[in-house]
Amino acid sequence: MPDAAAPTPSGDFDFDSLLAPSASPPPGPAPSAGVVPGAARLPAAAQPALSTQVAHEEKPTWHDFASSWDLYRDPVICGVVAGAVLGMLGVFVVLRRAVFVTAAVSQSAALGVALAFLLGIYLGVTPPPVLCAFALALAATAVLAWRSPSTRLPREAVVGLLYVGASALAVLVGDRIAQEAEDITAILFGTAVLVRPEDLLAVLGVSGLVAVALGLLYRGLVFAGFDPDGARIQKLPVARIELALWTLVALEVSVTTRAIGALPVFAFSVLPAMAAIRASNRLSHAVLLAGLAGALSGGLGYIAAFLLRFPVGASEACVAAALFSLAVLAARLRRVA
Amino acid sequence: MKLLELSRPELFACRGLRVGISGRAILPPIDLTIEAGQFWAVVGRNGAGKTTWLRTLLGLLPPVGGLVHAVSDVRVSYLPQRSGLDDLYPLLAREVVAMGAERGWSFLGGLGGRDKKARVERALAEVDASQLAEQPFRRLSEGQKQRVLFARLIAGDAEVAILDEPTSAMDKVAEREAFELIRKLQANHGLAVLVVSHYLSIVREFADHAILLDADADQVVVGTPEQVFVHPAFRKRYGDFAAEVQHA
Repeated sequence: MPDAAAPTPSGDFDFDSLLAPSASPPPGPAPSAGVVPGAARLPAAAQPALSTQVAHEEKPTWHDFASSWDLYRDPVICGVVAGAVLGMLGVFVVLRRAVFVTAAVSQSAALGVALAFLLGIYLGVTPPPVLCAFALALAATAVLAWRSPSTRLPREAVVGLLYVGASALAVLVGDRIAQEAEDITAILFGTAVLVRPEDLLAVLGVSGLVAVALGLLYRGLVFAGFDPDGARIQKLPVARIELALWTLVALEVSVTTRAIGALPVFAFSVLPAMAAIRASNRLSHAVLLAGLAGALSGGLGYIAAFLLRFPVGASEACVAAALFSLAVLAARLRRVA
Repeated sequence: MKLLELSRPELFACRGLRVGISGRAILPPIDLTIEAGQFWAVVGRNGAGKTTWLRTLLGLLPPVGGLVHAVSDVRVSYLPQRSGLDDLYPLLAREVVAMGAERGWSFLGGLGGRDKKARVERALAEVDASQLAEQPFRRLSEGQKQRVLFARLIAGDAEVAILDEPTSAMDKVAEREAFELIRKLQANHGLAVLVVSHYLSIVREFADHAILLDADADQVVVGTPEQVFVHPAFRKRYGDFAAEVQHA
């Protein structure tokens, strides 16, 4: 397979190796996605496991999952790490009442990946998809942060415009690159079953950086969000703090969108944070709780997708939504008690 | 905010200051000096330009004309109107108080250690709010929130406290208690206090300086409360209520 940065008309991902019955039967226990990015780069040790595993069609079991752990380890780690960091970051996004900003930014990142493929096909020059995703995510963030005095539209309207525009363009671009169309679907809806090693590395590296930055900026982020005027008067660099927050969002969203798709990225950056804010009276606890809920959503969502043959991204998003529902229920029960 | 040389006890000075929005002045030029230990009442009807003037003084809005002078490194704390604070944030009262100690890039430092914790505890004790320290701020009553925010002023070792309608959600008793607390803090810490308030009789009792702003009449009156509250501009704007205040 060519390098991920240089998709070819024959396809960046070897779907057939997993999906074609002649090569190896569809992975029975694998989640129901039709897309397996990076399948051709599966560790050699994982290939026999996959073959034996997919030889039967009965309902997948926990044992199937455990016996193929080498195969599914990377996507589970990716989901857990992305969920944890997006969850923590999401607390500040939700508190700034900018929930759909993340949706628009993640769709823009997906469009960036699609454009990278398009450039590769038509121009023969393919920039790294993650860089394109980051560039588009950053551009979307800049558009959302820029407030023209003459603009009479609320920010929500600009968010809606970006979201719809980026989603529609990604689909249109996908239509022009038929060989990668399924990959675009995977990026938009998070249907990818596996994660490529380079994407996992990017997620781990960027997530670590974002987590450290969040820790450093924590007190500034809290003060600037809770009482922006008070913070400005005490000479805190509020505009720079906000810029840093949205740059971190763009960075994390762009690498995680490339790896796991826009839908779970949006879910991870909103639902765990909502649950944690609802459940905790302390912001520091809420941030940690959101990280935990995001990690659980990523890990359990993947396992649920495996066992129930669901699409991965939707399964992860549903687990996040279920955790939010539990937090609401727990808060109500606590109030009644 | 343009900084020119002032020396303490002078903290702020407005010289021919024109304030407004989008480059359009809404008030005539303002000249005054604010010194440490002074208690200023900022009065005027709704839409009179009070918040615009305060925001210009604080550097949140650019002046349309004239100058704002501030003594170098002046420590200002601001107690916003209720709507200025976001109740969605799950913060403990002591965490809100600790914000008072932040200046510039200090938030990048460590947790602040014992010294900061001790400052927070002292500040809460001074406003008789130690028992609120571990309470969620968003669940406190308006009176309790004000006490916590007063503690934030002290924790920041402020020289100037600017309070924008601090008692607007309080009953008469709580309002008087709040003003008495403000005066106590002013005396203990040598604070210059600027209070925006619609409770004129209380303001008259506590303030030693007053400024009346009236954007509709394009008028500004500066002086002692006695001078301001008998001024024709004040009587014109407040009608019969002005007489009540004068005889309070």
